[in-house]
Amino acid sequence: MSSSRSICLGINYRTTPVELRERLAFAAGKVPQALAEIRNLPGFEESVVISTCNRVELYASHAHGQHEVAHSALLNYLVTHFELTPDQAEALVCYRLAAVETARHLFRVVSGLDSMVLGETEIFGQVKAAYKTALDSGTTGRELNRLFQRAFNVGKMVREKTAIQRGSTSVGAVAVDLAGKMFDLKTCRVMLIGAGEMARVCAQSLLSRGAQSVIVSNRSYERAVELASEFNGTAMTFDQWEHSLHEVDIIISSTSAPHFVVKPEMIEKVMKGRRGHPLFLIDIAVPRDIDPKVNDIEDVYVYDIDQLSAIAEDNRRGRLNELGVCERIIEEQLEKFGRSSALPHTGEAPSFSTP
Amino acid sequence: MDRLLLILATLAFVGGLVHAVISLRAGTWKENRWHWVPMAVGLVFQTAFLYLRGQQHGRCPLTNLFEVFIFIGWCIVLLYFLVGATYRLSLLGVFTAPMIALLQALALVSSLDKSVPPLRGPPNPWLEIHAAISLMAYAAFALACITGVMYLVQARLLKEHRIHSLFYQLPPIHELAKAIQRLAILGTLLLSAGLAASIPLHIPVSNPKLIFAWIVWGLYLAINVIMWARMLSARQTAWLAVVGFVVPLVSVWMVTKAS
Repeated sequence: MSSSRSICLGINYRTTPVELRERLAFAAGKVPQALAEIRNLPGFEESVVISTCNRVELYASHAHGQHEVAHSALLNYLVTHFELTPDQAEALVCYRLAAVETARHLFRVVSGLDSMVLGETEIFGQVKAAYKTALDSGTTGRELNRLFQRAFNVGKMVREKTAIQRGSTSVGAVAVDLAGKMFDLKTCRVMLIGAGEMARVCAQSLLSRGAQSVIVSNRSYERAVELASEFNGTAMTFDQWEHSLHEVDIIISSTSAPHFVVKPEMIEKVMKGRRGHPLFLIDIAVPRDIDPKVNDIEDVYVYDIDQLSAIAEDNRRGRLNELGVCERIIEEQLEKFGRSSALPHTGEAPSFSTP
Repeated sequence: MDRLLLILATLAFVGGLVHAVISLRAGTWKENRWHWVPMAVGLVFQTAFLYLRGQQHGRCPLTNLFEVFIFIGWCIVLLYFLVGATYRLSLLGVFTAPMIALLQALALVSSLDKSVPPLRGPPNPWLEIHAAISLMAYAAFALACITGVMYLVQARLLKEHRIHSLFYQLPPIHELAKAIQRLAILGTLLLSAGLAASIPLHIPVSNPKLIFAWIVWGLYLAINVIMWARMLSARQTAWLAVVGFVVPLVSVWMVTKAS
């Protein structure tokens, strides 16, 4: 492993503020050109560029005697490519990794351990897409092919052998998880009572997972119309929502009323017509909008903001608890990778499968 | 030899269950082939046992309560593979394994395996078909019962906001509700076919076996109507599938004891 010529130069959400990160992001269409430019730098042999909203990382293999020289060349490339001012260049804090540290970092990245939301899965697909672009552009070779192929195997292994991606860690995503355990989301209809920001986020999450339609009711009808148009849904005045309860499967309430807005007798009436279909009520409001007694009604499930937050927090803790196991797997795989890197090259072209 | 096969089958089911429970507790349970391998191994041993018994008797191995239990267990595992794959209810195996293991363990330690005198003539094929299909129907009712238990567990976790490892592994309640309904229909159709196969046998109407079978058929017909008409809540329907299974279970016991 010590003889590896792979390096990584990168910035991420920890090292660099978003203002500078967005300045350094590679547009998808420009990546093949950047890959070729990096590979054509003196002494460079291979290149892969990962550019997401949270990170920009340049992976390369080089024939320079020292990694520092190669790192400086990559940094110069970044500064020149994005035409950074001397002040911006000076403020740029990059991590410079080489050999085993490059592999460890990439293994952690694809496993979601280096992500803002620990264990998130999107990064795996993003790295795969970045590698495929490099592979298609012909800028990868023995070093990076082996490194990335192994990284994908390690990423899969970490996710299969641990609970690092179990459960959601945001309130909106938890609400979607719960709804998914009650309904086929593709047939679900959602009602927003009140148009608060958190309710909007929950509704957005449900729609992104296939929920069919949204009804928005708000004291300010204009705001209801505004939000409904955002979701391509229906707006209604605040005195109407009660009459439409029977049309929906999920109710998200976020009014600023000082008393309960949704009462057991209303829901009991609705449930008679639902013929055994469950009803999911999400209470985002403080003070609460939904009388907790509603949860006692058969086939009705009520979650308030504290309960949703507690689930998200539990999941975050659960993921953190898995961190040690994930790191152990990565270290074991790093050792194996180090041993296999010492083996003679077979000359076979790598296989690549889309996620 | 045949009892050894049964012990091995029971161990396979227990092994699968222990592995699943450990994985669930550790929060690392994932859908993969290692969860159905023990079930498949158990099925192979069960099949071998029934084959040997069939060879010994020269007919379908349903000569005593011991064999009836094993045959029902075999049908449940067989249906599990069909239903589990169809409805993606992979965790059904975790709930099925203890039931089969218990059924077989009880059969093994009991004195139910009594030898019966060999048949004087060739077996009546209608009788064989009637018994085998009826027991397969009971297996479908057993799976509906197990699925009902899964529904009740998941609904309780949702109701009490206990969102942990088991919650994520259990299927959504709407899928479980659908599976319960389809299993109850499947069982009723199979039992109808089993009862139809008894017509050429000219069994007297007062025969207790037949009376029990018709009672079970009537009960599940009623359950199906209740489910179809959505007369009860989803949770009450799941309870019906669970409690309803007591009737076929008791009827098998009573009928086989009486014969």
